[in-house]
Amino acid sequence: MGQEFSQLNAELQRRLYEAEETIRAIREGEIDALVIRNRALEEEVFTLEGGPETYRAFMEAMDLGAAAFDTDGHLLYANTALVQLLGLAPDALQANSLFAKLDAGNGATVRDLLNRGKAGKSTAEITSEGRHIQVSAAPLRVGITEAVALTFTDITSRIRERASQESERAALAILASANEAVIVCDIDGRITHANAAVAAITAQNPIGKTFATAVPLKIGGLPGQHPGGEIVALAIGGTPMQGIEAFAPHAPKSKDLLISAAPLRIGGDEISGCVVTMIDLSQRKTLEQQQLLLMGELDHRVKNTLALVLSIANRTAHSEETVRGFQAAFSGRIQALAATHNILAERSWSSVRVGEVLSQEVEPFITSGENRLRVAGPDVRIRPRAAIALGLVLHELATNAVKYGALSSPVGTVAVQFTNDPASPFFSLEWREVDGPAVALPDRFGFGQTVITRSLQYSVDGGAELEYPADGVRCKMRIPRDDVVAAI
Amino acid sequence: MVENATPPALTEPTKLVLYVAGQTPKSLSAIENLERICAEYLPGRYRIEVVDLRKSPQLAREHNIIAIPTLVRELPTPIRKIIGDLSDSEKVLVHLKIGG
Repeated sequence: MGQEFSQLNAELQRRLYEAEETIRAIREGEIDALVIRNRALEEEVFTLEGGPETYRAFMEAMDLGAAAFDTDGHLLYANTALVQLLGLAPDALQANSLFAKLDAGNGATVRDLLNRGKAGKSTAEITSEGRHIQVSAAPLRVGITEAVALTFTDITSRIRERASQESERAALAILASANEAVIVCDIDGRITHANAAVAAITAQNPIGKTFATAVPLKIGGLPGQHPGGEIVALAIGGTPMQGIEAFAPHAPKSKDLLISAAPLRIGGDEISGCVVTMIDLSQRKTLEQQQLLLMGELDHRVKNTLALVLSIANRTAHSEETVRGFQAAFSGRIQALAATHNILAERSWSSVRVGEVLSQEVEPFITSGENRLRVAGPDVRIRPRAAIALGLVLHELATNAVKYGALSSPVGTVAVQFTNDPASPFFSLEWREVDGPAVALPDRFGFGQTVITRSLQYSVDGGAELEYPADGVRCKMRIPRDDVVAAI
Repeated sequence: MVENATPPALTEPTKLVLYVAGQTPKSLSAIENLERICAEYLPGRYRIEVVDLRKSPQLAREHNIIAIPTLVRELPTPIRKIIGDLSDSEKVLVHLKIGG
C-alpha cells in the first residue's frame, strides 16, 4: 500500500513538473505549436505563429533569393530561388549548408549582416562563383519568433551591363579622340560609326551607307569598280589589310589616303563587322613633292656655284700677276659669294633684301662705328640669282673703293641710292663715292671690272655701268624686274 | 521530480525522440540545438528520432505530448521530457543526466 502510494506520488510529481515545464516553455516562447485533441478525440497540431506557410508562401513567391534566420543564427527557411542561386541541395535547411557554399570572406560578410539585421536594415555585396550578389538583411517577426530576413539579389547582369556601357563609352571616346579618320562597319558592310576626321574624306553623312558609297575610292592595283567595298568585304571575311594607298576623288579635303582595315571582334571570336582607318597623306605627298623640288634645286645650285667658282678662279688667275695677288683676289671673291649664300640660306633660298646684300658685302671693309655707307631709297626683295650676282658686283666695288677710292681715305663715304619705279623693267641702285682722292681712269681693266659690268647681264634688263668722274667712282646697277619679288 | 534509481550505463546508447511540428522556427531550432549538444557531449552514443506531429499527429499519444517542440529521453529509463527549443544547453544536459 505504502509502495503504491509512493509510486502514485512520484507519478503525480512527474506530471506536475511536466505541466509546470509546459507553462514555463509557453511563457518563455520556447514552443510554437500545441497538440490538441479534437472532438473526435484525434490529435491535431496548432502552430502558435499562425502557420509558417504564410511567410514561406510569401518568400516562395519572390524572385529574389530569400532566407529567414532566427536571432541565434539558425536557418528557418530558404526559398527555392536562393537554393537555385547558391546551388544548395533542395532540402538543405541547415545554416551550415548555406555557409558551406560561401567562402570564408563571404561567410563572414553574411554573418555580420545577420547580426546587423537584428537592429535594422543593412546591405552588403558578395561574389560567389563569378556572380555578384547583393545581400540585404532586415528584422522580421515570424509568429512569436524574432528573426532576420535575408534577401539575395543577383546583380551580375546589372554590373555587366554597367561595365559594357562603360566600355562602350570608352570605345566611343577613343574613336572620337583618334586623329585618323575611323569608320566602323557592321557585318553587312554598312557604316555604324564614323569619327569627326571622316568629314575631311566625305561630305555626306556616312552612317547607314556602305563604305563604297560613302567613300568612293580609286586604288592602284585593285581593278574593281568599288575597291573600297572589296577592302571592307575582305576585312569582314577575316582578312586584315594594312597600308593601302588610295585616292578619294570626291573628298572635300583629304584626297590621298593610306587605308587599313581589320575585322571587328567584340567579346569573342565571332566577327561582327570591321574597322577602317584612313590616314591623310595629302600633307605627306606635298612634303614629298617639295622635297623632290628642293633636291633638284639644290643640285642645280651646286652645279651653278661650282661653275661660277671655276670661272672666278680661271679669270682671277688670268688677271692677277702674282700668286699672292691671286690668293687675295680669289679668296675675297669666294668670301663675297659665301656671304650672299649665307643670307640666302638663312632665308631658305627664297629672297633677300638688297640692303642686306649691300651691308653683307661692304661692311667688312668699314671700321665699325664709322658712318661711311649711306643708303637711301626704297628697298626690295630679290631672287637668289640676282642676289648672287649683285653680291659679286658690290664686292668688287667695295674692294676698289678700299684700294683706290673713297674708302681708302679717312673721310670718304659711299652713298647708295635705290630707285624702284614700277613702270621700269628693272630696279636700280647707284653707287657713288664721295670725298675720296681724285679719280683717274685706270690704266688697265682687270677681271674686277668685268665682274662689275657683266654679272648682272644674265638678262637683257640687267647690267651695270661703271664711270670714273674725278670726284668719285659711280656705278649704276640694274636688277631685272623678273627677279624683284616684292617692294618693302 | 523523479530521481533516477539506476544511473545509465556508459555503454547504453541514449535514445531520444524529438517531437516537432513541421518546420516551425522552434522545431527547426530544437533539431539544430539537439544535434549540436549530442555531437558535442554524446559522440557516437546517441540515437535521435525526429517525429513530425504535423504529418502524424496521432504519435503524440505515445508520450502524451502537448507542447512542441518536446524532447523525450526513452533510454535509459525512466523516460524524461524536456519541453522547449533546447536553447539552454546546461538545462538539457542536466535533464538528460549527461556530464553532470
